[in-house]
Amino acid sequence: MMPAAVLLVCAIIGPLRAAERDSLSIGITQFPATLNPNIDVMAAKSYVLGLSLRPFTVYDADWKLTCLLCTELPSISNGLAVPVDLPGGKKGIDLTYTIRADAKWADGAPVTTEDVRFTYDVGRNPQSGVSNAELYRRIGGIDIKDARTFTLHVDKLTFDYAAIQDLMLLPAHIERDAFADPAQYRLRTLYNTEPTNPGLYNGPYRVSEFVGGSHILLEPNPHWAGPPGRFRRITIRTIENTAALEANLLSGTVDMIAGELGLPLDEGLAFAKRHGDAFQILYKPGLVYEHIDLNLGRPALADLQVREALILGLDREAISRQLFDGRQPVAASFVNPLDLGYTDDVPRYRFEPIRAEALLEAAGWGKGGDGIRRNAEGQRLSFELMTTAGNRSRELVEQVLQSQWRRIGVDIRIKNEPARVLFGETLPHRRFDMAMYAWISSPENVPRSILHSSEIPSEANGFVGQNATGYANPEMDRLIDALEIELEADKRKALWAEAQRLYATELPSLPLYFRSDVFVLPKWLSGVRPTGNQSPTTLWITDWSAQP
Amino acid sequence: MKAPLFLLLAIAAASFAAPLVGAVAGIDPNMVDLLDRLSGPSLMHPLGTDELGRDVLVRLLGGGRVSLVIGVAAALAAAALGTLVGLAAGYLGGWTDRVLMRGTDAIIALPLLPLLIVLAALDLHKLGLPERVIQSDEISVIRIVALAVLVGWTTAARLVRGATLVTRNRDFVRAARSLGAGVPHILWLHILPNVLGPLIVATTLSVGDVILFESVLSFLGLGVQPPLSSWGSMLSNAQELIATAPMLAVYPGLLIFLTVVACNLLGDRLQQRVDPAAASRRWSTKKNRRAERGGERAPGPF
Amino acid sequence: MIRYTAIRLVEIAAILVLLSFIVYALIGLMPGDPIDLMRSSDPRMSAADAARLKALYGLDQPLLLRYAGWARQALAGDLGYSRLFSVPVWGALLPRLGNSLMLMLPSFVLAFALALGLGTAAARRPGSRLDAAVNLFCFAGISLPTFWLALILILVFAAGLGWLPASGIATAGINDAADRLRHLVLPVATLTLVSAASYTRYVRAAMREALAQDHIRTARAKGASEARVVLHHALRSALVPVTTILALSFGGLVSGALVTETMFGYPGMGKLIFDAVMGNDYNLALAALLLAAAVTMAANLAADLAYAWLDPRVSYR
Repeated sequence: MMPAAVLLVCAIIGPLRAAERDSLSIGITQFPATLNPNIDVMAAKSYVLGLSLRPFTVYDADWKLTCLLCTELPSISNGLAVPVDLPGGKKGIDLTYTIRADAKWADGAPVTTEDVRFTYDVGRNPQSGVSNAELYRRIGGIDIKDARTFTLHVDKLTFDYAAIQDLMLLPAHIERDAFADPAQYRLRTLYNTEPTNPGLYNGPYRVSEFVGGSHILLEPNPHWAGPPGRFRRITIRTIENTAALEANLLSGTVDMIAGELGLPLDEGLAFAKRHGDAFQILYKPGLVYEHIDLNLGRPALADLQVREALILGLDREAISRQLFDGRQPVAASFVNPLDLGYTDDVPRYRFEPIRAEALLEAAGWGKGGDGIRRNAEGQRLSFELMTTAGNRSRELVEQVLQSQWRRIGVDIRIKNEPARVLFGETLPHRRFDMAMYAWISSPENVPRSILHSSEIPSEANGFVGQNATGYANPEMDRLIDALEIELEADKRKALWAEAQRLYATELPSLPLYFRSDVFVLPKWLSGVRPTGNQSPTTLWITDWSAQP
Repeated sequence: MKAPLFLLLAIAAASFAAPLVGAVAGIDPNMVDLLDRLSGPSLMHPLGTDELGRDVLVRLLGGGRVSLVIGVAAALAAAALGTLVGLAAGYLGGWTDRVLMRGTDAIIALPLLPLLIVLAALDLHKLGLPERVIQSDEISVIRIVALAVLVGWTTAARLVRGATLVTRNRDFVRAARSLGAGVPHILWLHILPNVLGPLIVATTLSVGDVILFESVLSFLGLGVQPPLSSWGSMLSNAQELIATAPMLAVYPGLLIFLTVVACNLLGDRLQQRVDPAAASRRWSTKKNRRAERGGERAPGPF
Repeated sequence: MIRYTAIRLVEIAAILVLLSFIVYALIGLMPGDPIDLMRSSDPRMSAADAARLKALYGLDQPLLLRYAGWARQALAGDLGYSRLFSVPVWGALLPRLGNSLMLMLPSFVLAFALALGLGTAAARRPGSRLDAAVNLFCFAGISLPTFWLALILILVFAAGLGWLPASGIATAGINDAADRLRHLVLPVATLTLVSAASYTRYVRAAMREALAQDHIRTARAKGASEARVVLHHALRSALVPVTTILALSFGGLVSGALVTETMFGYPGMGKLIFDAVMGNDYNLALAALLLAAAVTMAANLAADLAYAWLDPRVSYR
């Protein structure tokens, strides 16, 4: 009966595949809860907004900071950035930006400094529900020069002063009413109540259909003055289950799978093996640093010899080669090879099980009868290894680690927790031995929150801070403090190199690799350039085109 | 009777002998061999290896142990809890009955899956469980069993209550009462034996349901956690490898199928034994139909 | 009868109040909260931001206090805003409810039609080849996890044959009935096959019992046609137990089908409730769960009342 019904329906409606090259359908694994650029943090939202909303500045695929909505990046040499002395001996900086003359919202209204002022007011208001208000806290005031030029008075001088991508403009001309009562803003913002209002978007595309949980349709912004996008319609479709997402690609329901929110690498590789001929597949290692945090508060792990033995006992090359086809190179430290501060002059650890065993012997851990090492008091060398439950890729690696460490006499008990437990409770309270997860960063992201001794979560500071390993080294603290305020790139490079060497020597956490994104694209699509940093590829949608 | 029982016993025996088989063949189910991933059947690995180069046969048997333990433990515990509630409601009647039965209704009325998701994500520390229990390897198994019991006891409760209502006014129970027999005595000796038949049937059937339920939890990432594996978690892991290594999905799927079929057939046959007068039917006699009605949980559309 | 109905209604209301508290407390017992998760995915979000947002969403208040606040508002008819979607709860709920009904109702009807047909046919000839085939269908249906069936259907009918869209609710930008229908075929087929398998077993068992009853034999002896015997006499008594299952399944119309919706990227109630619960969206989760519970209990009551009509031997005082 069912097959008959299927046949009937098919006969009535006709075949599905009608290849239109002026439309593009993209599959991602998450649906944005809101499109308001300043409320909530979600990769799916960044992906959609990449098409429809321009940030002032952004790191491009060469990891250079560039202007998208502004005309010129302020720098001290061009006089648009002026360091100032603040009362109390602190240093600040005044930054002058000019909005592009041709920037328009999709309803035709020009983008003006009025929008900047309004966005600043929203961002400063503690009740408005803005997620990341760090930049707004730093901006002590704004001077409006004219309709397009404004100066920000920033009360902290850092080397990346020109980067203001967190200042995502809101359209004052239609959003102002929603902000009448700041506490109600997050509920009344048009991005939620009327997401298809053209006035909300100033990028090459605007949202023209929004079906919650299913898909978002984007069409060209008629007032876009830059190079036009080549597609008349772009659909972003959400399918959370990756096996189903692959099937959607094969069926033509989606044309491509985004790398930013798509297949995990192992699945992408398996897909490439079967269907690699029919698609172009790009791999891009990014700024997602997979590593194992070691809790230095545990006596056994506080011993550097043990930490060194642990990393020497791991065949990370084999994991990378066998599980990830070499597409996810082994990391030497927390800095990505594409980053400005990267150096390869750091201690490197290859797979040396014999040296690892010798180190453990020297540290007082002799082999017991069951093959597991014990110290003089008879304690077993046994650790709990945690990761986010349900992440299949990590679960696989975890079981490989367990198996490899077992061979040098280290017992591992796997105990995974849901992400919200791991990040919300276990890591802040430092209730773990080893935890495998990723640090997501941005280019030249100073590792203050993860390596500075003042960021160790404790009872005293209300369990705030992300230095869960408990790593405290005055030298590292000094390097981090110096890094943040060093304006000269060369001097900064030297500081970065020192920080990496120190990290790789002391091993507060064991580096694994930088996670690779898999972009599965149709053969006919060109111009997609993965950035490897947190900027979504969709920001450069106007470079994408269909080749016949 | 014989065939399904034999099949079940064979699956169970093989599963529980898994560590032994592994030890004899020198195979550690958790030993990873990255150079021998996804290999086909061989003398060393009769069913090949999985994505980490582990022996599929030994892992299947080990997974069976977890699945069966979950299935049987949950079915038995649910039957026990349900029996207590059912006896209390049916025998005591009045307000006790009302409250207990409306509680049962409430559990049946709540959408099953979202509730379980909440329960599966509960913070055990906040519940005040001892640290030793929370930290144990088997905590994910215990959690799943607890969840299955929490939603599964209603079947037994309704069944037992219905039978108790009918039996409690029979002559032999009245006689026992008038002779001064205590309540526990009456319940245990006179009433329970009369509901045992349908109870056994319902329990047998629910073993299969729980095993399936566990696979759905695994799909949602809330099932048993590695290094433990179950048929459900193996099946759910295999969906990403459906084109590369379809057999990794077929084996656990087939075992779940066989177990569910065996449980169902066994349940049917047991029913014929217990209640030969109405062979083949799942539904109670006219007199107490109202009382027993709803003994089954609706098949949940997942 | 009226008295009985009134009492039951009061009981339903009491249970709903109790459930609301239990669900609220359970969500509160989940560890961590969404703000922590937000932080782990944005390196530039500071601890101060997290504390400010928690206060803004009221997540720093004690649980009981928050529940009391919710209950007071809810009783006044205000279900509040969804934290996740920042829209009024009804605004988030209604479109999803519509989608869910569109998915569940056809599946429900088809599954029952299929079950009645197969179950009756099998019951009429116990032990026949047809009976065995129906049995096999049932076993396969109940032991095949839904996510697998869905995946296989997508691979065959969407990826392999290319007949149907693999996911979603409609083609973007197209708003016609035929398009919606095409998107419904595969998820409806999945749900139908899975539920038909279990329903069939109930129908078959109920029909076999009904066909063995005295009045059927009497009817046959009186020379009633086979069709009349089966359809008029047997089906009517078989419907009594089947109605129970039907009533209990009713809540599913409202609570959706999480796994099927996930596999097909279909925005229904199942996914909504899942997201609401996982995202600590108390207002939305409570409204959706209570709605589903209320519908199930109401259907249950309706089924009890229907007995009186279907089976005159049952009466309520």
